[in-house]
Amino acid sequence: MARRLWITALIVPPLAFVALFVVYPIISAFAYAFFQWHGLARGEFVGFANFYKVLFTQPYADWTVNAFTHNVLVFFALMVLQNGIGFLLAYCVWRELPGAAFHRIAVFLPVVLSTIIVGFLFKLFLHPLFGVVNISLRGTGLGWLAQPWLGQGSTALWSLIIANAWHMVGFPTLVFLAGMQRIPGEILDAVRMETESEWVKISKVVWPLVAPSATVVFTLLFVGSFNWFELPYIMAGVDGSPHKSTDVLGLYFYRTAFGDQSGSGQDFGAGSALAVLIFVFIAVFAGFITFRLRKREIQI
Amino acid sequence: MARMTLSGIKKSFNTTDVLHGIDLEIADKEFIVFVGPSGCGKSTLLRLIAGLDNISAGEFRIDDHRMNEVAPSRRGIAMVFQSYALYPHMDVYENMAFGVRLMGLEKAEIEQRIDEASKMLRLDPLLKRKPRELSGGQRQRVAIGRALVRKPKVLLLDEPLSNLDAALRSDVRLEIARLHREIGGTTIYVTHDQVEAMTLADRIVVMNNGKVEQFGSPRELYERPANTFVATFIGSPRMALLDVERSGNNLALAGSGSLTLGKLPAGGERELVIGVRPDALTIKTDASAEGFKGSVIYTEYLGDNTFVYVRLGDGTLVSVRADDAIDLKPDAPVTIQVAPDAIHYFSRSTRERLAA
Repeated sequence: MARRLWITALIVPPLAFVALFVVYPIISAFAYAFFQWHGLARGEFVGFANFYKVLFTQPYADWTVNAFTHNVLVFFALMVLQNGIGFLLAYCVWRELPGAAFHRIAVFLPVVLSTIIVGFLFKLFLHPLFGVVNISLRGTGLGWLAQPWLGQGSTALWSLIIANAWHMVGFPTLVFLAGMQRIPGEILDAVRMETESEWVKISKVVWPLVAPSATVVFTLLFVGSFNWFELPYIMAGVDGSPHKSTDVLGLYFYRTAFGDQSGSGQDFGAGSALAVLIFVFIAVFAGFITFRLRKREIQI
Repeated sequence: MARMTLSGIKKSFNTTDVLHGIDLEIADKEFIVFVGPSGCGKSTLLRLIAGLDNISAGEFRIDDHRMNEVAPSRRGIAMVFQSYALYPHMDVYENMAFGVRLMGLEKAEIEQRIDEASKMLRLDPLLKRKPRELSGGQRQRVAIGRALVRKPKVLLLDEPLSNLDAALRSDVRLEIARLHREIGGTTIYVTHDQVEAMTLADRIVVMNNGKVEQFGSPRELYERPANTFVATFIGSPRMALLDVERSGNNLALAGSGSLTLGKLPAGGERELVIGVRPDALTIKTDASAEGFKGSVIYTEYLGDNTFVYVRLGDGTLVSVRADDAIDLKPDAPVTIQVAPDAIHYFSRSTRERLAA
């Protein structure tokens, strides 16, 4: 009896917390999306009008497509840069290449840093005049490569992607490394008896055996890419400048619901509709990815 | 053809020397067993032959080709691992096909080899199963099959029976002996079990502390052990070693009396070690009989055999194979008689065998 009381006492507070600050806002956002809003005052019920507005009327439709396209690009770019490099780093650390002990720690350190700090640092690095990137380029005779990295549409989004990859690459590295360390040494010896090609070892044996860890890494990257907000907010601002070239769904939703820098254009109904669309999209695809990848998992 | 020559093979990990100069000459088609207590370096030596670890010093040749720098996959060697090391994400067929595909063989040839191996190892009904759906014995056969389809010049087996239960062990042992007869390649088998070594090997390498103690046929090892280590390692129950003093043709054991023999090995050494196996001893309850005196510790009845353990006057424990009918109480005083022809003589200082 005392045990039950204990369990109840331990479960109820966090459950209440989650209900109040997670479940309730999600459900309210669903509800808000079906009303017209005048500032923060609720107007009349309008059905799917808000959804129609953000998806099919201009200028919202173009903005939605623009932001969504950027999220897709971010997802695939990070899949290659962050997860791909993470896998290779994990492999190098696992095979104990020279410097493995140092890199095991160094790779993971940035993950611990707050996004605010990372965003601010990269803004400084990429400053067109005083940034370490352009100064180094000029100093090594590569001055013609110096760019206003964050100030032009062609490089701004990629700069953010690289900042994010640097920040988070330690996470997939750590997960993949844990997966690799579960592979028995004799299995690796057995492959070595059959081939000397690193590529065959990785693609035919190591990769399939760490696939279970890939499921969680892929799913989290997917969710993270479509919820991407902090880094672009810090480095590019709420308007996704320059000229919405770094606009992503998170910024777009925020701007729509709460207004941009000038405080204009606030539309809580349209914002809620966007939030619901993003949520449903992520939930459906993340569920699908998890389901598909789970099937490939292997018991070692 | 796969003749192997190891000359002066050494292995050190950092500053620790694990193998101190191994010299072996292994003939084609021989079944060689490396045996020794754990930590003696037998598995390390096998990994050097496989190429999984680098040789620190010395030279390893197969058919006069230096192998030291050759990658494991190019040595013409296949290995069966202790844990079997099957690829968990591939079914039995794929496990066997993986290596031969990488060798670049034609599809028909691959299929034919797998077919042959799976018939020989009775794997036919299991080809579509994943390793986790197999029993220990089945996994073992897949691991052997995976090695055989590569048609290696040399087959290495690292303690292949240690993960099987006792009942299966003797079956698989027979199976391995049969396979070697049918295929006939050079085979190296590592074990710490002297029974496996004795039953399978053409020749046995007895190892201890990173050195070869003796290299010879099972019969040689049993009948003419080169030193006291081999003498006690081979044979069960183990050979007893007695520290005796020689004076003329008389051997005296402290506190147990003495023994007069017709003939002793040449040489002037006073202090000897004699080795006696349970078969070489007979037990007498008659206190006046000539021999070493001792008292019974306990009797081990095994059905077909009875072993009596006797503590001699100097504290040494010897086991004696005795008559089933014998009935001895613990602490009973007995006399142990020794068959003179069955005594092994060793030097007390070098522990080496003395020529009889």
